[in-house]
Amino acid sequence: MVANQSTAVSEETVPREQPEWRRLRPSSDRLRSLLGLLSPLALLLLWEAGVHLGFVDYRFFPAPTSILMETWDMLLSGELVRDMGWSLSRIFVGFFGGGFLGLIVGLSMGLFRPVRLLLRPIVSAIYPIPKLALYPLILLVFGISETAMYFTIGLGTFFMVLINTQAGVLNLDKIYLDVAKNYGASRKDYYLKIALPGALPLIFTGIELGMGMALLLIVAAEMVGADAGIGQNIWTARDTFQIEKMFVSFFLIALLGYLFAELLAAIERRIVPWKRQEG
Amino acid sequence: MADSKIVLQELTKEFKVKNGVLTAVDHVNLRVREGEFLCIVGPSGCGKTTLLRILAGLETATSGQMRIAQRNPDKPLNSMVFQDQSIFPWMSVRKNISFGLECRGVDRRTTRAVADRYIEMVGLTKFADAYPFQLSGGMKQRVSVARAFANDPEILLMDEPFAALDEQNKLLLQEELLRIWEGSNKTVVFITHSIDEALVLADRVIVMTAHPGTFKEEVEINLPRPRHIAELRQDPYFNELFAQVWEILKDEVAKAKEREGYSFHRRERSALDDESHMVM
Ligand SMILES: Nc1ncnc2c1ncn2[C@@H]1O[C@H](COP(=O)(O)OP(=O)(O)O)[C@@H](O)[C@H]1O
Ligand SMILES: [Mg+2]
Repeated sequence: MVANQSTAVSEETVPREQPEWRRLRPSSDRLRSLLGLLSPLALLLLWEAGVHLGFVDYRFFPAPTSILMETWDMLLSGELVRDMGWSLSRIFVGFFGGGFLGLIVGLSMGLFRPVRLLLRPIVSAIYPIPKLALYPLILLVFGISETAMYFTIGLGTFFMVLINTQAGVLNLDKIYLDVAKNYGASRKDYYLKIALPGALPLIFTGIELGMGMALLLIVAAEMVGADAGIGQNIWTARDTFQIEKMFVSFFLIALLGYLFAELLAAIERRIVPWKRQEG
Repeated sequence: MADSKIVLQELTKEFKVKNGVLTAVDHVNLRVREGEFLCIVGPSGCGKTTLLRILAGLETATSGQMRIAQRNPDKPLNSMVFQDQSIFPWMSVRKNISFGLECRGVDRRTTRAVADRYIEMVGLTKFADAYPFQLSGGMKQRVSVARAFANDPEILLMDEPFAALDEQNKLLLQEELLRIWEGSNKTVVFITHSIDEALVLADRVIVMTAHPGTFKEEVEINLPRPRHIAELRQDPYFNELFAQVWEILKDEVAKAKEREGYSFHRRERSALDDESHMVM
């Protein structure tokens, strides 16, 4: 017993590191999400009050409650679900197609110098052109069609993911290559155990930016190319002066943006658990 | 003399730099015995890392010869513990330590058993599934050392592995290193710029000259093993050795300092005076 105690004591006195990483966990998740809700709620209240008191012109900024009612109507008529469906399908096809290709091309450009040298001029020439500037040409090529919208959204996502994936591979510290060589890693080991996981944080940054890009492009693309969809709805609402409808679409897009961002963050936490998470 | 594990003859490494070549390692001759713990000390910039990278096969010598005797071709010849942070941030402690074994295709169960044994030896059992960002500097270096040992190489190459640690951690890790190494019959080439560290660890200490680096002198350390570092430091023989090595190293450190000062002075001057290069 006594001997036991003395070993325990000597272990205590050894200045070994404490599990200080426990501290890194968020102290209070609930408080944080509460704070995050506070400012939008306050804004909505002010807005509602402003409309009723006559400070805010309801013709341009209808009261949140009437927007809510409009949402209900659109939900009942099926219009909302239909528009969401159209827009989501376009975003998904374009985003996944473009993102996947961007990932493949970005990885190849990061890993293989000849590929990089070959493709870099084309990529740096096309990347900075706003994809909307290309939309008229895309419409000419594909006609006014779903394909034209897939392609436009795909193009925007493609470059975002490509550029960031390539940077993720190229910015890997050289020392990891030395470790790989010294410990006898094969090419395959290097790609799968080092290059790909090492590039993941930047790949996720690319996907997040690509998602933003897709939401941006869908609204503009649907203006010309579609007869249903959230973006298209905004333009119809303008023509018919149904401002509530327009606001419903704004909120839907904002909601989509928020949901996608949360979804991506959740996926990232699972796939990149080794990254220090910021609170 | 026991079998030679590593033999270097007139080994030289030159780097091509902007205005000519820079000799990092200059005609080095070295014989390392099988199972020996060799420490190399030298002022910073004298070519220690370069020499170790050549031994690791990460750099090729410009001229000279290197021969390394391999006992078992199925096992890795050498594993390096790098000077800079080199464990993979995206792998858990266990995965990091298993890296060499996984690359060699050792079966899962053996890999896990070996990794866990070394995780225990370096006192990280509670952190086996933690990621590097959750570890302190000392713990990261433990992972790095365990990764090298778990790979079970014939030669361990260690490049100032404890230089960035505080005194207590350094002492702990030195003792852990000795404990793991003693009875492992591995050859170790350990680089340090600390005389004290070299003396407590090594069978033999080699002192390098300031840039361009070559071997100046060597000192046999006849201290009994297993060693207890804290006690060693009170040994009069230890202090005698310290004085002896410091005497050899002193001039080189001064020269390294002078060279730093010199290049600083040169840079200053060339900024002021465009014709400075004509003086060379
Ligand atoms: N890849 C390289 N290219 C050019 N010079 C280098 C390179 N690596 C090292 N050197 C130079 O070689 C010399 C020895 O460097 P190094 O081996 O890192 O010294 P140490 O590890 O003893 O501090 C230094 O002057 C350094 O600047
Ligand atoms: Mg060095």
